[in-house]
Amino acid sequence: MTTTALDMVPPGTRCRVIALDVGYGINRRLMQMGLVPGSEVKVLDNSGRGPLVIEVRGVEIALSRGIAKKILVEVLK
Amino acid sequence: MLRRFWLKCSSKWKCLLNVVYVKLMVVTTGKNSGREREIVVGVIGQPNVGKSTLFNVLTGEISHVANWPGTTVERKEGVREYKGKIIRFVDLPGIYGLSASTTEEVIARKYIVEEKPDLVLVLVDSTAVERTMYLAIQVLELTPKVVIALTKSDLTHSLGIHIHVDRLESKLSVPVVPVSAIKGYGLRELLDAIIDVAEGRRCRREPIRVNYGSFLESTISDVERVLSKSALSRKYPLRWLAIRLLEGDPELEKELELLGEDEVVHGVRRIRESLARTYGRELMELFVAQRFKFIDSLLGDVVVRVEKKARRYEELSLTELATALLDRLIQHPLMGPVVSFISLLILFSLIFAVNTGFPFNVLLSYLGFSELAELIEEYSISGLLGLGFTYLSTLLEPLLKTCLGPQVTSLIVDGVIPGVGAILSFLPLIMLISLLIATLEDSGLAPRFAISFHNFFSRFGLSGRAIYPFMIGLGCNLPAVLASRTALEEEERRQLIVSVPFIPCQARLVVILAFVTTYIKNPLGQALALLSLYAISFLVALLTSILTRRVVYRRKEPPELVIELPPIHRPSGKVLWWLTWDYSKHFLRKAGIIIVGLSIVTWMLLSYGPEGYGVGIEKTYGALLGKLLAPVISVLYGLDAEKAWKVGFALLHGFIAKEAFLEATSLLYGGVSIDEALRALGFTLPSLMAFLVFFTLYVPCLPTIAVIYQESRSVRLTLSVILYMIGIGLVASQLVYLVLASLTFLYS
Repeated sequence: MTTTALDMVPPGTRCRVIALDVGYGINRRLMQMGLVPGSEVKVLDNSGRGPLVIEVRGVEIALSRGIAKKILVEVLK
Repeated sequence: MLRRFWLKCSSKWKCLLNVVYVKLMVVTTGKNSGREREIVVGVIGQPNVGKSTLFNVLTGEISHVANWPGTTVERKEGVREYKGKIIRFVDLPGIYGLSASTTEEVIARKYIVEEKPDLVLVLVDSTAVERTMYLAIQVLELTPKVVIALTKSDLTHSLGIHIHVDRLESKLSVPVVPVSAIKGYGLRELLDAIIDVAEGRRCRREPIRVNYGSFLESTISDVERVLSKSALSRKYPLRWLAIRLLEGDPELEKELELLGEDEVVHGVRRIRESLARTYGRELMELFVAQRFKFIDSLLGDVVVRVEKKARRYEELSLTELATALLDRLIQHPLMGPVVSFISLLILFSLIFAVNTGFPFNVLLSYLGFSELAELIEEYSISGLLGLGFTYLSTLLEPLLKTCLGPQVTSLIVDGVIPGVGAILSFLPLIMLISLLIATLEDSGLAPRFAISFHNFFSRFGLSGRAIYPFMIGLGCNLPAVLASRTALEEEERRQLIVSVPFIPCQARLVVILAFVTTYIKNPLGQALALLSLYAISFLVALLTSILTRRVVYRRKEPPELVIELPPIHRPSGKVLWWLTWDYSKHFLRKAGIIIVGLSIVTWMLLSYGPEGYGVGIEKTYGALLGKLLAPVISVLYGLDAEKAWKVGFALLHGFIAKEAFLEATSLLYGGVSIDEALRALGFTLPSLMAFLVFFTLYVPCLPTIAVIYQESRSVRLTLSVILYMIGIGLVASQLVYLVLASLTFLYS
């Protein structure tokens, strides 16, 4: 089990959210979209530059790298 | 007799008369009468659940559009008559939850609490129930009078989703109705459920109680005790208030402070902060996580997903293959931006070509095929419309002259008809562009394209979605300002409104080309001049955006991209038509009036002078204004007074429509060809380039100004845009002049 920032997770990997360290408004938006500590996320697309695409609760969401950097996750097998 | 008349009326008339009756009762008695009272339904849902589609199907047409007080967020209402009852639907903004962290969320919450609709219709996407149910639960925690519509239920079967509606209904104790706005089923059941709940037959008595676990529950009770004496507990359910304050809610804290209950605020804050310290994280995270846990247990035996075997590519149909291919291409790290850019460029060029022949007319005439270019222009939509209006004018002129006299005739022929013509010639363009944008949005392609451009635009304080207004701006600034609605946040939208008008539109290109081909003979020089003008304009537009963000809004970071990517699918024709018509109707109503009004004002300026009507061009108020500008122009561009006032006058014309600059100049030289007239102005290369920079930047055309006002609803912002653009135009053109003049001096 490894802990890392979401922007470092390669595509096709499932992980669990540990903490979100983003601004107030974004924090609320992400949480209401289902991105809370404990929830499972799948990284669909992460090319190393530009926004990444994740799947949360069956919905695809694009996140800019700035946000993804501040989301701490543990990688699941 | 009245009764017989009533029975004979068609249902449409009945509905209308009913509304009139109700309105009259409200006016005369000050309240709604019991029997004919309308049922008011607030419609709420997360983004992408298909709210506007269902809203359109339910109401047929939007009867009333206004803004939510103090905001630029639109409030739409629509009325439906069903089983002799009048149901008024109020469209609430698309939001993810009720935490009141955005303007939209505050609007929705205020509406539910303060306007007390008879019920709230919450839309839950049946293809993503696990996520979209969140808002429904939040609404249910606030009010028991709820109906849930499961949207897009025509899609569930093919996705292998089965929802046990009856189980969900009995667990929540509110009506749950699967509907499909596209296929049109479930609508009667939905309307029946709405009437049942409004009349108190099928509804909960109390808001829903989510169990937050023993620890949070005991904290909630503590806070409830603190709050029980508060005046706010009469307005909101006590438990809900306690939970919201524990989660942290600046809006509610403000309300408490306004009531003078500062110690309540401090009391709750102490509890919240000490708990947050114990937990090492915000309490809201715990509440939201519990709410999702509640949803998971609620849906456990309700939603059944049959895992469909992933099909191999050979098994897919052609459209499915195309979709998959497109999806892969757009998301490819290197190909993505290129493919996105080229596809959007082709799509928008096609639309502009249908409308005005642009960019093919310009390209062809530049390459020497001017006849072909004219042919394309003539048979484009705006060419045909223009022809129609000229024909109308020449047809009406003699007729009107005999019965109304020359002044009124000129008002109609030169003032009103061109004004109406301007609106109508913009209309097909606006409709086609909104159709394209609606198609991109509804198919799920728009957000995917936007991702590719996010890296570039975030440097200038914008998100990737800015690509749409920027690209449309190359054809026409007016729909580009309208497309600022695509922005992610209010600040970004305003940044777009003030920066997009700098982009050189097609009309400006026509004038620039006329000047450049007249004065510069070397093709390389022509291309260089053209490219540098475009580069300067884009630079100014992008810098304006980042400056507005940093200086006016004091935001350091670019808008963070958090957007949903709905699955790519074929858009529905019905939805596209609604979205397109909605957009266009808005333009006709709001900007239309301003455009006709201002065309009449400019007609007056150009046909009246201090000596009255019917004086020569040189004695009109317009010419006087041109002469007022002349000293400035002659200093800036080194022209003598006689030429300077003509340029001033033509610039005034260019304010109405950019390309009118050329026509006005040729008119002032007694109707000589445009080439000759431009040459007669006698620019040197540095002054020409400086002037063209000014011409491109100085101000957008009048209809665009009307739309800037329509979209920002702020006279201050509209005037600031005009002044700012003139200012930047002057500064930039002087800089160019200085650079070029010193270069010529050095090399000569």
